[in-house]
Amino acid sequence: MNRSVLRLLYVHEMKMLLRARRTVVMAVVLPAVIMPLMLYGQKYSAGRRVRLLSATTYRYAITGPLADRVRGLINQTRKNLNDSPDKESERLKQFKFVEINVANVRESLANGEIHLYLETMTGEEADKLPPKNESGSRRSNGSRSGTATKRIEGVPLFTVVYRADRDASDNAHDQMLALLRMARQQDSQSSLIEHGFPGDPKQLFSVQDSSVATHGQVTGSLVGRFITLFLVMMMFTGGAVASMDIISGEKERGTLETLLTTAAGRSEIVIAKQLAITSVGLVITLIQGLNFLLYIKLRVIALPKDFDLQLPTGMALTLLVLFIPLAATIASILLMISTYAKSYKESQMYFFPVYIVSLIPSLAAVMPGISLRSVIAFVPLANVSVAAREIMMGRPDVLMILVTLGVMVSTAAYLMRASARMLTREDLIIPAHVEAAEFLGGPRLFQKRVLRWFALMWVVTFAVATNVPALASFQRQLIFNEIVVMLGAVLLMLWTYRLNPIEALSLKRVKPAVWLAIVFSIPSGYLTALGVFRIVNVIIPAPQQLLERFSEDLIPKSMPAWQLLLYIAVLPAICEELAFRGILLSGLRRKLRPAALVVGIGLIFGLFHVTLYRIAPTAALGMILTAIALMTGSVFPGMLLHAGNNALGVLAGDWFSPEMLLWSHYAAAAAIFALSLWIIYRNRTPLPTR
Amino acid sequence: MHAPVVVRNLRKIFYDEGRGEVKAVDSVSFECHEGEVFGLLGANGAGKTTTLRMLSTILTPTSGTATIMGHDVVSSAQGVRKNLGFYSATTALYPRLTTRETIDFFARINQYPADLVEQRVEYLIDRFGLAKYADARIEKLSSGMKQKVSVARTIAHNPSILIFDEPTVGLDVLNALDVQETISELRSEGKTIIFSTHIMSEAQRLCDRIAIIHGGHILACDTLSGLRDTTQQHYLEDIFVLYVKAGQETV
Ligand SMILES: Nc1ncnc2c1ncn2[C@@H]1O[C@H](COP(=O)(O)OP(=O)(O)O)[C@@H](O)[C@H]1O
Ligand SMILES: [Mg+2]
Repeated sequence: MNRSVLRLLYVHEMKMLLRARRTVVMAVVLPAVIMPLMLYGQKYSAGRRVRLLSATTYRYAITGPLADRVRGLINQTRKNLNDSPDKESERLKQFKFVEINVANVRESLANGEIHLYLETMTGEEADKLPPKNESGSRRSNGSRSGTATKRIEGVPLFTVVYRADRDASDNAHDQMLALLRMARQQDSQSSLIEHGFPGDPKQLFSVQDSSVATHGQVTGSLVGRFITLFLVMMMFTGGAVASMDIISGEKERGTLETLLTTAAGRSEIVIAKQLAITSVGLVITLIQGLNFLLYIKLRVIALPKDFDLQLPTGMALTLLVLFIPLAATIASILLMISTYAKSYKESQMYFFPVYIVSLIPSLAAVMPGISLRSVIAFVPLANVSVAAREIMMGRPDVLMILVTLGVMVSTAAYLMRASARMLTREDLIIPAHVEAAEFLGGPRLFQKRVLRWFALMWVVTFAVATNVPALASFQRQLIFNEIVVMLGAVLLMLWTYRLNPIEALSLKRVKPAVWLAIVFSIPSGYLTALGVFRIVNVIIPAPQQLLERFSEDLIPKSMPAWQLLLYIAVLPAICEELAFRGILLSGLRRKLRPAALVVGIGLIFGLFHVTLYRIAPTAALGMILTAIALMTGSVFPGMLLHAGNNALGVLAGDWFSPEMLLWSHYAAAAAIFALSLWIIYRNRTPLPTR
Repeated sequence: MHAPVVVRNLRKIFYDEGRGEVKAVDSVSFECHEGEVFGLLGANGAGKTTTLRMLSTILTPTSGTATIMGHDVVSSAQGVRKNLGFYSATTALYPRLTTRETIDFFARINQYPADLVEQRVEYLIDRFGLAKYADARIEKLSSGMKQKVSVARTIAHNPSILIFDEPTVGLDVLNALDVQETISELRSEGKTIIFSTHIMSEAQRLCDRIAIIHGGHILACDTLSGLRDTTQQHYLEDIFVLYVKAGQETV
């Protein structure tokens, strides 16, 4: 890496970007004006609404036998408003109501002559009404407003009838309800006095709401929900224009070829481009930071008083630190799109779907109830989204923020490497070049296609299996997943790519010592996993009911043990090992190093067992099984371990509970497990890898 | 001391969906001597560009080796590019840079001594008569001017080997002559030049030695007079046709 060359290239790229009007508009001007525009728009429309609503005089009518009583109550209460200084009365005073006489209240409400009407009923009348379904009636039937509280028999009923689809009517209804509640309170007080009870107002209670959150926290939670989503959108749109210019545009204009013939190394070229696009993302972030400062802290635009954001400098910096790997990740994604595309047009075509898919994880903060102290911390983009919300609400979780940072930095680093590698591929730099494998088919093509097969299998497993009612039962679903999908795909791949089954599925004999080690590793591995699970549970507690429900879901109670073993232990062990440690491993192993194979195949294996709390343990099992397959050069030991592990999972629950064991037992199990792995390692007959 | 350019059994195979396996370059070997213009003469699709892209490290050879000033094109690609100026109809300029910025950038990126860059830039601007347009953006220049800037950026770092891949394609007669003149000048300054073309007269006028390339094979490689002696033909056209026909018969 030559720093001066890198600096030169970076300055060069930035100069190119700054001189293109399109990038400047999308990456600087648009992000700079969008926030003040949104704030202005918000302020304007809110102000207009308030003015409009307070300028309106609400017209209403009263019907029914108790009209006079209600009329008197309303007038009395409105008079009293002037004497009581509380907030609610202040607010109600601003609204003007006038009662008008109409012939048909329904019609008048429909044609807008009145905003609402009050329907009064005596107790006897009201008792005859059919009981109505409370939930959903308020909005869905439109014209009739349900009473929120349970009515006592014999008590008169007043109904406020309005139209929820009309702003003014809806607003009038809110005010009228508030007025009536106040009237009821005053009425019951006076009737108590009338009947000779001591009418101490303090003994009657009134209800009021009061949020203990500060304005800053409320605003923080609101802004925090959307900040990452907003930034990701901005980075994508701004960054895409930059990356298309910097790669696809250069390819199309022919300057990339010129650049590739200079003494600059390809890594410097790629890194400079990456830095340039990342810079665009960071510029966008900084502009938003500046916007916050200007509009929310310094209040350049007069915002409502309660719109306040408390963000100490330390927290602001933490946010910024989280957004740096975010920008780098997005930059790499954009770079890969542009590299893969042969032209500007093509990269625009690929951009949109990738953009939509990337927005989904950044929506995590918008969803209720997601906390960073969960698996979400390990999902790139989603973790930043949730972390940003918690930081802006003033509730940073330092440990999980560090996890988030670690995950994001690794993601960014991985994607940067991947995009760098793409730019060294001849077929992507010089178009019209088709790779050898594509043309020849057979085993070489298989290596390129194997991941697509597994993606398809994944889709079939979840999209088809969970939506086809015929597959709903436990046995049928397992038979479909294991035999049709897994085994079926394995056979289809063997046939399509003319693979040798013994090679492709690693159907090799292993030494007796390995079998012995596997036998020991089954119980010790199971207990080790339990121990690890208990430790993890201390750090990230899994919801208890989720765990319970999960075990109920999985295992039907009525099934005899031998059938359970067949379906849960034997069948998955054979089919899944052939698929993951057989064909997938052989497809990938010449392209990746052993460590990458272990992690990658483990994760893919985990993804096929989808509930979030199962992914991590299954992925761990998958990694161990992959490592064993690599060391022994065979699928068979993994099958035994897989079957044994699953069988213990089914049966062990009846014999003991994890609480029966001491930590020393777990330590001993881990030691035996490590020893078995060591024996396997010492007797290794490894598969060739990269 | 090795020859500045040594090519041994260079091969490049592409896989094309329509045509299948394409042997674009098949066992090509040649050497260029210091200070000569080495011509690669061949029709469209003969394999000239592919050969020269391998020499300039844009493409990796399927097999065979090539060295430029002792640097291997695979294992020492950066060393190769430092000593090389590559020019072709497809190597474009950055439209949003000015002439001066372009030459400056390419001098620096090719690691020309930093303290001498400014001097070099002024020299090249002067040499190609670009002074009037030195601070205009490339996108504003005429195609003839762009042509000159392109040559200037190719030699910005004063490399000892220059590759010109069909430099006159798409140029009008005057501009084409300009380029030819520049190439002669560069030879007289001691540069080693590889020049590819499909135009006989250009090859005849410029090249010290000519390699006839067809279907990815080099069919002959000699001075013009040497070729005349072997074939007993005077015109390069006739010599070319003779070799191509003979080549087709043997294939
Ligand atoms: N990137 C590529 N992918 C597939 N085939 C190619 C590619 N580049 C060149 N070829 C083929 O290789 C042969 C030689 O091409 P080329 O080197 O461009 O010839 P020339 O420069 O002499 O016209 C041609 O048949 C051409 O179609
Ligand atoms: Mg060509």
